[in-house]
Formats: sequence, C-alpha cells, structure tokens
Amino acid sequence: MTTVSTVVMADTFTSASISYSALMPMLIVFVVALAEVLVAGFATRESRHALQVGLSLIGLLGALAALLLGARFHQGVTASVADAAGSRQLGAVVVDGPTIFLQAGVLVLALLAVLIMSERLGGIGADAFTPMGAANPGSVQERAAQRAGLTTSEAFPLMMLAVGGMMLFVAAGDLLTLFVGLEVLSLPLYILTGLARRRRLLSQEAALKYFLLGAFSSAFLLFGAALLYGYAGSVYLSEIASAISAGQPDREVLLVPGVLLVLVGLLFKVGAVPFHSWTPDVYQGAPTPVTGFMAACTKLAAFGAMLRVVYVGAAGDRWNWSVVVVVIAALTMIVGAVMSVTQTDVKRLLAYSSIAHAGFILTGVLAFDVTGVSAVMFYLVTYGLTTIAAFGIVYLVRDVQSGSEATHLSQWAGLGRKHPVAAATFAFLMLAFAGIPLTSGFVAKLGAFGAAVGHGGASGAVLAVIGVLSSAITVFVYVRIIVMMYFTEPAENAVEVVSPSILAKVAIGFCAVLTLALGIAPKLLLDWAANASLFLS
Amino acid sequence: MTSGSEAVLFWILAPITVAGALGLLFARKAVYAALGIALAMVNLGVLYLALGAPFLGVVQVVVYTGAVMMLFLFVLMLVGVDSSDSIVETIKGQRVVSLALGLGLVGLLGSVIGQVSVGALPGEPKSVTDNGHINAMADLIFGKYVWVFEVTSALLITAALGAMVLAHRERIGERPTQRAWAARRVRTGEHVAGLPAPGVYARHNAVDTPALLPDGTASELSISRVLAARDQIEAPQGYAEISREMEQEITEGSTR
Amino acid sequence: MIQLLTPAALTAGLASGDTDQILHAAEGISAYGWLLVALPMLGAAVLLLGGRRTNSWGPLFAVAMSSGAFVVALGILVQMLGYDDASRRRMVHLFSWVPAGQFQLDAGLQLDQLSLSFVLLVTFVGSLIHVYSLGYMEHDPDKRRFFGYLNLFVAAMLLLVLADSYLLLYVGWEGVGLASYLLIGFWNHNPAYATAANKAFVANRVGDFGLGLAIMLMFATFGRVDFAGVAGGVSGASQGVLTAMGLFLLLGACGKSAQFPLQSWLGDAMAGPTPVSALIHAATMVTAGVYLVVRSHWIFEAAPTAQLAVVIVGAITLLFGAIVGCAKDDIKKALAASTMSQIGYMMLAAGLGPVGAVFAIFHLLTHGFFKAGMFLGAGSVMHGMDDQVDMRGFGALNTAMKTTWVTFGLGWLAILGIPPFSGFWSKDKIIEAAFVGEGWRPWVFGFVTMIGAGITAFYMSRLFFMTFHGRKRWPKKAHPHESPSLMTVPMIILSVGSGLLGMALTWLGFAGWLAPVVGEHEEGHPVLAPLTITLLTLAIVLFGVWLAWSRYAARSVPRTAPEGSLLTRAARQDLYQDAVNEGAFMRPGIHVMRALVFTDNQGVDGAARGLAALIGGASSRLRRIQNGYARSYAMTMLIGVVAILGAVWVMQ
Repeated sequence: MTTVSTVVMADTFTSASISYSALMPMLIVFVVALAEVLVAGFATRESRHALQVGLSLIGLLGALAALLLGARFHQGVTASVADAAGSRQLGAVVVDGPTIFLQAGVLVLALLAVLIMSERLGGIGADAFTPMGAANPGSVQERAAQRAGLTTSEAFPLMMLAVGGMMLFVAAGDLLTLFVGLEVLSLPLYILTGLARRRRLLSQEAALKYFLLGAFSSAFLLFGAALLYGYAGSVYLSEIASAISAGQPDREVLLVPGVLLVLVGLLFKVGAVPFHSWTPDVYQGAPTPVTGFMAACTKLAAFGAMLRVVYVGAAGDRWNWSVVVVVIAALTMIVGAVMSVTQTDVKRLLAYSSIAHAGFILTGVLAFDVTGVSAVMFYLVTYGLTTIAAFGIVYLVRDVQSGSEATHLSQWAGLGRKHPVAAATFAFLMLAFAGIPLTSGFVAKLGAFGAAVGHGGASGAVLAVIGVLSSAITVFVYVRIIVMMYFTEPAENAVEVVSPSILAKVAIGFCAVLTLALGIAPKLLLDWAANASLFLS
Repeated sequence: MTSGSEAVLFWILAPITVAGALGLLFARKAVYAALGIALAMVNLGVLYLALGAPFLGVVQVVVYTGAVMMLFLFVLMLVGVDSSDSIVETIKGQRVVSLALGLGLVGLLGSVIGQVSVGALPGEPKSVTDNGHINAMADLIFGKYVWVFEVTSALLITAALGAMVLAHRERIGERPTQRAWAARRVRTGEHVAGLPAPGVYARHNAVDTPALLPDGTASELSISRVLAARDQIEAPQGYAEISREMEQEITEGSTR
Repeated sequence: MIQLLTPAALTAGLASGDTDQILHAAEGISAYGWLLVALPMLGAAVLLLGGRRTNSWGPLFAVAMSSGAFVVALGILVQMLGYDDASRRRMVHLFSWVPAGQFQLDAGLQLDQLSLSFVLLVTFVGSLIHVYSLGYMEHDPDKRRFFGYLNLFVAAMLLLVLADSYLLLYVGWEGVGLASYLLIGFWNHNPAYATAANKAFVANRVGDFGLGLAIMLMFATFGRVDFAGVAGGVSGASQGVLTAMGLFLLLGACGKSAQFPLQSWLGDAMAGPTPVSALIHAATMVTAGVYLVVRSHWIFEAAPTAQLAVVIVGAITLLFGAIVGCAKDDIKKALAASTMSQIGYMMLAAGLGPVGAVFAIFHLLTHGFFKAGMFLGAGSVMHGMDDQVDMRGFGALNTAMKTTWVTFGLGWLAILGIPPFSGFWSKDKIIEAAFVGEGWRPWVFGFVTMIGAGITAFYMSRLFFMTFHGRKRWPKKAHPHESPSLMTVPMIILSVGSGLLGMALTWLGFAGWLAPVVGEHEEGHPVLAPLTITLLTLAIVLFGVWLAWSRYAARSVPRTAPEGSLLTRAARQDLYQDAVNEGAFMRPGIHVMRALVFTDNQGVDGAARGLAALIGGASSRLRRIQNGYARSYAMTMLIGVVAILGAVWVMQ
C-alpha cells in the first residue's frame, strides 16, 4: 500500500526549483526576524534594545549585501515549476530589474527607519513604543511598567517581518504570493500602529481601523484574484497575460472586474481615493517613526506590486480598465491636495500630502511605458527618503511640559527662531514635497508627469495637468508650514526639538542630503532606475 | 449539479448556510453569532463532502468548527456571555446606504459571474482523480506553492507575537506571598482577619449573595468586584428573612 | 489644444531659425562664467554656515565676493566686445541635470548681451550696496547674517539672468524670492515686518504658479524647456498654446515685478532694511519680470494677444503706481510706488515688441542706477533722522545733508527725464515707442506714458521738495547729520550713473548692441513727430514740477496730513487695493478662512486669499466625510468598489 502510493507520488510530484541565491535577501530578513523573536523572549531586559537594533541593522545590511552581491546575478523566476506545456517556468518569486531596485529601496528605507525608530531619548527602550501594549492607557499598570523599565522590543521583529513581506510583495509572480505578501507586510503594521507610547487611545483606535479596513480591502483583492483565476485558469501573472492575449471568449466578463478588484486591494495600500480614508487616522495614531516607515516603505512596496500586476499581468487589456484608474488617479491628486489645505495637525497634513503623492505616482504608473516604470521607481525612493526624514523631525518636536509630540500646527509657530537647524531641514523637506527645483521631489515629479505626457496619451496629458494644479495647491500648504515656523510669533505653550542620538541624526541628515543631492545630480539613480525598468514576464 | 440527490442536498444546505451567515451579522448576543458561523461552517464542510472533496470537508469541520469557533466560544465565555454590543446607529443613513451598496455589489458581481458558462477550467489539477486529495494538496503545498506556504509561517509568527504584545501583561515585580499579604494586613490594620466571606444563610449560600452586617445591610466587601460590576448580585434580604423564620420555627419548636 | 512636436519638427524649427540661434561654447574667461554665480554663493555659504567665527571678517568677505563677480563680468564684457554680433552668445555647460528618458535637461549658463547687461547691473549696483550696508548696518548685531542673505540674493539673481533654460531660471527665480523673503523679514522680531515678508512671499507664490504653469506648458508643447529649444519650437506651435504660455509668463512677471494685479506687496516690503529696498525692490529683483518678458520675446511676438496684455498691464501699473505715489507721506513707500510705476513703463515697452524691448532694458539699467541711488539717499536721510520715514517731518534737509541732497537731486532729475540726465534717454524713447503703431493703440498708450511722466514729475518733485526744501519740520530731538563716507561714496557713484549713464550708453550704441538678442527692430514711425513728443513730454513734466513746487516748497506743509480730496484719500489707501481684494475674493470665503488660518491669518493676500477660500471651502466640505468612524470609511470604500464595478458594467 505505502510502496504503491510512493511510486505514484514519485511520478506526479514535481518539486519547485528554488534558487537560494535569489531568495537569500528575503531569507536573511525572515531569519533575523525569528532571531529577534527569540531575543524578545529570552534576552535580559537591559540588553534587549541593543540586541534588537543591532540585529535589525545587521539583518537589513546583510540582506542588502546579499541582494546586490548575490541575487542581482541570479535574475529570473524562482520557486518555480514548469507550465502545463513545459515550455517555460512559472515562478512565485520573480527576481528581475524592478524587483532588485525596489527590494534595495525597501531595505535602505527600512534601515533609515530603524535608526529613527531606535531612538531612546535617554530611556531604556525605544521612545516611540509603549512599555506595555496590554496595559490600559493611563492605568496604574502602565505607569508601573514604565517605572519598571519594560520595553516593547517586539516592535523590531515585527518590523523585520513587515520588511520581509514587502520584499516578497514587489517580487510576487502570482496572485497567491501577492496576497500572502500583502498579509505578511500588513499584519505587523497593524500591530505596530497600536503601540504608540503617548496618546495611546488614538493609537489603538488607529490600529483597529487599519486592521478592519485592511481586512476589508484584502477581501476585495482575494475576490479579484479568484475572478482572474476563473478567467485564466492560473494565478501566475505571466499566464494571465497569455490568456489575455489569446482571448477567452466565454469568460471575458471576468477579466476587467478581476483586475480592478485586485487593484482595489493595492490602491488601498497606497492610499488612493476613495480607499484613502484610513490614511490620516492611521498616520496620526501610529508611533511617528512607524508612520515614517509605513509611509515610505508600504507605498514603495504597494506601488512595486501594482507595477508588476499592471505591466506584467493586465497590460494587454488596459484599454478596458485603465480609464477607471485614471479617474482614481485624478481624484486622488485632487482630494489629497484639497484636503491637506484645512489640516491643522502636522501628521494628518503629511498623510493627505502622501495621498496626493500617491496620485502623482499613479500618473506615472498609467504611462504604460518603461519610462513610466523608471519614473515611478525613482519617485518612490526619493519620496521615501524625504518622508522618513520629515516624520523623523516631527517625532523630535516635543511639548516641553508633557514630553509628547507637538503635532498641532500652531505649536510649530516660531520654531525657526529657536531651532534653526531642525526648522530649516523641515522647510527644505517641505520644498521637496512641493517639488521645487533642485530638490529630488522636482525631478521625481518631472519624471512621472513627463512619462505620462510622453506615453500616456490624452489621459496622461490630462492627468499631468491635474497633477500640476494639485501640486500648486500643495505648495500652498507646505509654504504655510514654513510661514508658520519662521514668521509667526511662537505659541504660548513651549515646544522644543529634543536632541536625538547620533544614529537618528545621521538618518535624518542622510535623507535630507540625498533629497538635495538627487535634486541636483539625479543622474546616477535615474540611470539605475532606467536600467532596472524591464519586467521579466 | 451532476445528480438529483446532490441538487436536493444543495438546496437544503445552502439556505441553512446563508441563514447561519446572516445569524452572525444580526445576532445581538455574541454566542449566537458564534454558533451561527459554526453552523455555516459545518454546512460548507458537508457541501465539500458532497462535491467529492472528503479531505477538505473534514478539515473544514475539524479546523473551523472544531478549533477556531470553539476557541471563539471559549473567549466569549471568559469575557462574559452577557456582553452585547450597542446597536444604536448614530450616523444618519449609514444602514440604508450600506444595505443598498451591499446589494449593489452582490448584484454586480452576481451578474458578472452569472454570465460565465461554467466548464472545466484549464488549470484544474488532474492529480485529484489520480492520486487522491491529500496527495494533490501535498503536491500543491510542497511543490508549486512551497515558498508561499513557508512564508505563511511568518503570518502565524506575527499573529502570535501580536497576541503577546497586545494581550500579555508581564508581571512587574514579585508576586506577593501569603505571608507578605498577612504582614501587610497586620501592618495597615485593615481587614486584619481578611475580607468577610459571602453570606451563609439557612437555605442558601453562594458567592453572589453578600453577607449581612450587624445592622442588617449587605456587606459590599463580601462579594467579588467583578460580579458587582456585572450586576449579578443576589439580594440577600429574602434569604435572611427565611433564615429568621426558620430560626423562629426552631425556637418555637423547642419551646413548644 | 496641446500640440506635441516631433523631434523632426523641432530640428526643422531649429534649422529655419536665424543665424543668432547658433550656439557657441564659451571659451577663455567666459568658460569661467560659472564663477559669477559661484562666488556670491560661496560667500553666502561661508557666512551662513560659518557661524560666529566669521562675524569679524564676514561682511568684508561678502563685499569681496560680490565685487569679484563684478570683475569676472567685466572680463567677460571685454571678451564679448571682441566677438562679432553673431557669435556673442556663449553657452557654459555645467552638468547634465535630468537625463530622464527622452527628456534631457542640462544645467547651463547663457552669456549674451542681454544677460551680461543684467549681470553688470546686478554685480555693480549690488557691490555698491554691499559697501553701503557696511555703514548702514554697522551697529546691527546680526549683520553677518544680513550679508549672507545679500550674497545669496546676488547669487540667485545672477543664476536667474544667466540660466540657459526656463527651468534653471525658475530655480533662480525661487532663489531671489527666498532671499528677498529672508531680507524683508530680516528684522523679524518686529511682527509688522514679518507680516510684510509674508505678504510678499504669498503674492510671489501666485506669480511663481504662473511661471510654473508656463514651463509645464512649454514642456508639454515643445518637449524642451531650454531657451534655444523653445525659440526653435515656437514656429510650429499653435496660436492658442502660445497665447496661454504668454499669459502664464505674464502672470509670473506680474508677481515678481509687482505689476497689476499682484502689486500690493511691494509697498509693504519696504519694511525691510533700506539697502534691501534699494537692491531688491528697485534695481534688480523686481525687474526680473521685465527680463522674463524680454527673454521670451519669441513667444510674445508669436502671440499678439498676450503681447497686448503685457502692454495693458504695464499701462495700468504705471498710472496706478504714479497716482499712489502722489499721496504717500512715507518716503520709502512713495519710492516704492514710483518703482512700481517705472517698471510699468518697462513692462509696457517690453510688450511693444522689438521696438520697445531694447528701451525697456535700457530704462531698466538707468532706473537701476537712479532708483537705487534715491533709495540709498532715503536710507541716508533716515539714518540722519533716527529712522523716521514721514516726509512731513523732514524739510530743508539740503542744509544738513549736502551730499545726500546733491546725489538725490541727480536721481530726481534723472527720473523726471530732464535732458541730459539718464532717465531722459531711456524714458523718452519708451514714450516715443508707445506712439508707434496703428489704430487706437499708439494714441492710448502714448498718452498714458506721457501723462504718467507728468504725474511722475509731480510726485517725485513733491517727495524731493518735502524732504530737502521748504521749512524745517523736524521733530524736536532730531539732529540731522550727513552719513559716513562708507554710505555716501556709493551714493555718489550711483548719482554719477544717474547723471551720465543714459547719455553714455546712447552714445556707445546700446540699442545696437542689444538688438541681436531681442530682435532687430525696424525704425518705427510714431504717430506724432519725435520732436513733438519730446517737447510735449518735457512741457508736461515741467508743469508737474511747478505744481509740486508751488504746493510743497513755496507753501508750508502741515505736519499732519490734511484729509485731502477723494482721490488723495483713495491713493493713500493704495487705491483701495486691499479693500478690493477683500471684497472681491476674501469676504465670500471668510468663514472658511477662519477655520483655515487659525493663527497666521495675515499670511494670505488678495487673489490668493480668494483661491484659498475656494479650496478651503471644498476642503471643509470633504472633511465632513472623514468622520472617524471605521464603518463610515468602509462605506466609502464600498462606494468606490460599487462605482468601479458599476462603471465597468455600464461600459461593457
């Protein structure tokens, strides 16, 4: 009996061919995450923080090294099996130019985010996270945990797991992997969002909202994937593309709803209108360094995945669905820009600005051209750098009395006089968001709109015009912050910029300098993005 | 629908499944909701069996109904079966619009799927019939989708980690020993003899019934705080009355 | 309609362009043209980043950097004079800026007659004002920062005029905006000054928005934004696009040059230190709009509607500024109104096409000298009168401040256009050019410029007489005294310019030197004989002077301003520009604005305020959807999904 079944199995079982070199970066990140789980469980309380931060940095740097020294030379599909005809390999993970570029982007941005996240401000653990997530906000137990020097060092393994999910997300060659990647990156973020040290009720509320709405959107993505499977009989993007080009007359109706529902899941993650409503609440509630990480890396990963789905999987049928996404892009830019005008909280304001930026990036995605891919990738990296630094500074601006972050705009009044360096850096970052020349934001916008105008046809041109108008509105908003910092009398309740450790300073400085450098001499990164913009299908 | 008996089974089970799912949505008590979803899950399991997927059917029942839903129920029991959500809707039009949108979504997706002529899908795993379901599943999990399957472990770890972070309260400092408690009671002089025990009456004694103080009022200290908060306290006066009557009877009996 | 040009059409456009489109690489000293920007930039960097260590030698270093740029400019001038007309334009390639796909953009400098004229003006006047500031700011504890900003401004201004593409020009454009913002608000411990800086910044944003749109439009139409590319592509673009482009450029110019309807900030900007007013708000930055229009002459020549708009804007502004100038008692605000009006002349001339463009630049140069000289004079007066600015408290200062009186007097004669002083040579030509043409235009514009000259004569004489002549109306504690030589020497040099520059440049053939850049102009025929125009203008000017003399020198001037006629009162209120702005744009959205500007309610102005109110209103409305309930958010998502699927269903 057993022998028979073994023989039969030996006939039919085909193991996936796996290139460990290509997967090594992800493996390193996941393994380090597991090691950090052990550290959180077994290391002494005093050594945990240093161990977690050290392991995270080593893990991210190691993954980056493995990516640039190893995986880069093993491009192709991996975790793959041959298709029915045996003519080509179908991979769950596709390691190609965009994957390498975007994974490197995720790793670098995560590295910078870890540096800011690890800021202790003199305490025993990271200052951003609550000492005990389970204690009721404001309870005796919370204060006791604070006094006892408890830390939520689990934040670091959670972050590493999210990074692993992001790396998988941008490399996903099939819809199932895409879904699992989405969940692996999202779940840790939901938890991280609820771990803020201060204003915890806001933070927990945000986490719950994020989780509920995220689950809602994942359901749409899954439904879309099911429809696409029904259409093509395969979850592999490349097979879906072949099915589209071959045509499936009796199942044609499944295609467009399927593509759009999958896109709904992805558009939710990037915060596109009308799937954006979680963004301001979550950005505001989450611990600020987590917000920075989320804004930079999630956006990068989700747009990376979207590029692959759109360019590899669904491009063949784009005439039937792209108009819907064009409308979404236009709405996203307009609503993001308009809503940012009346915001009075810096974090919410940046959240709406990130929504507007999602619209700008979508404009580049809709170019349906390699220049669009490279423009979007460049945009994602530069936006990530700027945004991590911006949230890093927001994190450091504190109310003197309570020690909590002073996020209300009125509290920022006159900051330029007391803290010239922080205020000047923040002002510069705002100019980069606004897309003023000689900042990376300008080159990024130019690339995205240029690609849209050059290859997006009439809709691309319209989107570019809307983009320019929306940027003009956002300029107003950013300038208001600058005006606030430099030309308004300081508010009564005193605000200070706390001095962070050298690590956070280096991270913020690095981001700001790159924002300038990529505005003056973007050639290197643009060239790299251009060379890496071809998808393997 | 391949055979008449299958159709009959489907039309019996499908409405029950839908009813169970609706029960999840509309039941006010959490236990009913949990039972509703368990009902739906069991029915789905039966449908899988009927469709010729015995493994899936059994797993469905064992995992969802057996493990997941029972865990749910345990939690509900621990939290308190009586807790029910507020069902007052404060946003104007929320329900009507959601209902309309939900129906719209069902209509649109239904019309899309309804237009498709169902045939054999090109990608259907042929090994199902050759090798049995378990082998077919194993083929997929350890073959084609091995990487995704492995990565799913990250999800489970995240979930465990999340549960720990959000729900586990680490004990701060030493747990006080009985000796320490006693010492503290003596030192502070409060409740030196411990808190009063719940009331013991002639025909009734239970933790939810407070003891009576000499002046006849109920002693708050003699019952658990949790019960008080849940408003599950029995009024002791009735039992005290009976006790007194019995006492009287006994006394009278002795004199008689 | 946006029409996209193929590369082939671009090449054709380039090939059909005339010979002056051929670009030569810079050689010799021109190849070091980047030093012009780099030197002051280095100065700014050293002073602003160097901290207190540079306190002692910083200001002198700034002067050296600015003068160094002037020396380089002189060297380039000498070299350029050696070339023939066709090869005077030299390109300095800096680096490849944005190599994105088909869109290649290099950062480079363009040295030609036009940019060099500006460079010489900016570096020369700029260096003099640096020197002047050494005296004026002597006792300011923070003068290092001031000189850092000044150098930053000079660098940005030079980048603006030297850029070889609209994009790099935009960088300089933003740079001068930033520097002027920093300089106006230099004394930002005074809230009123900070407000003024705010207002300037916001008004400029509106203008920059226009310039930004123009650049985007160029990119969309020509696929290039460098001057050569745009010039080459104009012939292939449609009229509508060019008109839109021209109007957007004009909006940009209006913001920067304080032209109608974005003029309101200039008067308030006088809150900054006086040398700043002289450099930025008289001689250089505010003329950037004129530069932009002249530089873009290909676009305006191909779009007559836009060109006419330029002329109309210039005409309105020159009258507006002149009328406002008549009623101002604040010496700096009166000068600011005069600046506005004079730039109106330049703008008008620039809009006349090749006939006027040369004289627009000519007037810009002479104006740069005499107006800067007068501002420095005003600064000197304030220096001697304890920072008082009300002219009703001056009078008879010619006795106390001889040098200031003489230098200011030369500037006064120049702006009046009395021959042979500088202003005559440039302004008279503009008036003459305004009379060239057919139909109603020459008559309207000609007389506007002529009447403007008369009003100018009146208010400038009023200013001059009220300050230096008549009876003493000094406050009790005032002891007017002449300023130190660090301040007077620059004034003397500028006054020599006020006196002689016009004649010298005319004699040296400035018009011919500039013509290859702005387009050869055929000799125009004014509808009146040139001599008639000149004499008529002179008569009107002299009448204005006489009127001012009779009212402000011969008669005594009351210490407090009389109520005055309706027009005077209106002019004192800047012709109610703020009130109009408020009524037209602000009030409708004021309740929205209350929510919007919780503390910085002084920051937004005019048209910007109306726009903001509109957007703010939409924003508040949208904000109601964002109510914080997860179920409500889920519903928006569901609406989105149903709408998407519904749209697909309808389409299929």
